[in-house]
Amino acid sequence: MWLWFAKLGSPKWFYELSTKWLPWLTAAMVLTLGVATIWALLYLPPDYQQGYTSRILVVHVAVAGTSLAFFPLMAVAGTITLVWKMKLADMVAKNAAALGAWFSFITLATGSLWGSVSWGTWWEWSDSRLVSMLFQFFLLLGVVSLRSALEDSEKAAKACALLSIVGCINVVVIKYSVEWWNTLHQPASPVSMESGSANGPEFWIATALMILGVYLFLSVSLILSTRNEILQRERKALWVQELLADTKSGRG
Amino acid sequence: MDLISGIQFDSFAEFLDMGGYSFNVWAVYGLFVVFITVNLYVPVLRRKSLIRDLKRRQTLAEQAHGAEVNSAGRHKLEEAEGNS
Amino acid sequence: MKPHRRKRLGIILFIAFGLSVAVGLTLYALSQNINMFFTPTQVAEGEVPDGQHFRIGGMVKDGSIVREDGTLSVNFVTTDFASEVPIHYVGILPDLFREGQGIVAEGIVDDRGVFQASKVLAKHDENYMSPEVKAALDASGASAENHMSLGEGGGR
Repeated sequence: MWLWFAKLGSPKWFYELSTKWLPWLTAAMVLTLGVATIWALLYLPPDYQQGYTSRILVVHVAVAGTSLAFFPLMAVAGTITLVWKMKLADMVAKNAAALGAWFSFITLATGSLWGSVSWGTWWEWSDSRLVSMLFQFFLLLGVVSLRSALEDSEKAAKACALLSIVGCINVVVIKYSVEWWNTLHQPASPVSMESGSANGPEFWIATALMILGVYLFLSVSLILSTRNEILQRERKALWVQELLADTKSGRG
Repeated sequence: MDLISGIQFDSFAEFLDMGGYSFNVWAVYGLFVVFITVNLYVPVLRRKSLIRDLKRRQTLAEQAHGAEVNSAGRHKLEEAEGNS
Repeated sequence: MKPHRRKRLGIILFIAFGLSVAVGLTLYALSQNINMFFTPTQVAEGEVPDGQHFRIGGMVKDGSIVREDGTLSVNFVTTDFASEVPIHYVGILPDLFREGQGIVAEGIVDDRGVFQASKVLAKHDENYMSPEVKAALDASGASAENHMSLGEGGGR
């Protein structure tokens, strides 16, 4: 168990494993996102109230749900950094923060585009779901700028790790805001297995596929940027030098 | 579900119109495509420039060490550097 | 695990736990301020101070919408199936505004007990249905349960 754990933390091991996995993950991502998008745009039945604006929610729900994964992910990586000082964990955490800010922004933007027609407003400061999601966006930007503000990279890693652990509280607030308080934002939809009923499979299958696709996209994007981080930070290591010697300029 | 009859629209114009909500629906899908493309393409571009940069440094380091250091010697040297 | 690592992990868990409790208590204390709106029952029970600007959330009562011809003026009744509050609004209503729909209105109660709204927003519930399914449910009278879903989270 501990041997496996130590191996997992080795940037070289991660780099080599991801080289093998990336083509498969990318193919799965393209396929899933493609099918989900076509399904949502062409085949999703109109909602009796929203009509075709429910197509917006396929993207919104998938991106919003996935955006909640960033703080827990960064907190786990941060804890590993603080306790075991594993290099790889911090490389993942560093790149996750910026990607998470993107996810939060897209959640807010797509939500606004839906709300402006369905609710009759782009934004409501009094809605705790909306405000807590905006807070997550700022927190993630905060983690990104904290990293660049501190020159000592080890101190920066520690500070970001702590902020990531604390930031998890906000994820719980986002998740339960619609249940704890009354909000304009609707709670999560129940899922019905019965075709032809409210919330039946014809409504949620496209969203379920989209969630899977967005998670695959998160993985591919994060792996790509983590690999760059590995090359950058481990550039003096023998295995990177050998790898560079084997690759033609700008390729591989 | 039939792939043709399952389509919710009778014409391409209807598809573009999205029941009168074309701006909002298409803006969301447009944003989504930009979001995915940027976050995949930027790391790929960064990788290319990074590898170019690291290879240039490698070549410079080799030139600096001069001809008397053979390949095996270079490896040992950089191993020591990497561990420091 | 080595002792110094166990100690460090312990400190992290302690900080995370302590902060969670602190945030939890703060949110609990602020909970009425975090709620977006008052329900008609809360208004009827006098939980809203007189003459105060506030938001009210409820269902648009079936058959209560009265529009004035040629103007944007509309009167309707909002209900949580326990109490009712009449609302008057002048302006453009959101696309989802209709009878049986959840709404949130912002404004003030006048001396006649009518809520003068300056803004009306439509709430969407968490249920998705095709028009055919909706028609079938209405025919069987089963959609009442969907109409109740506004109460979710309200007044807790």
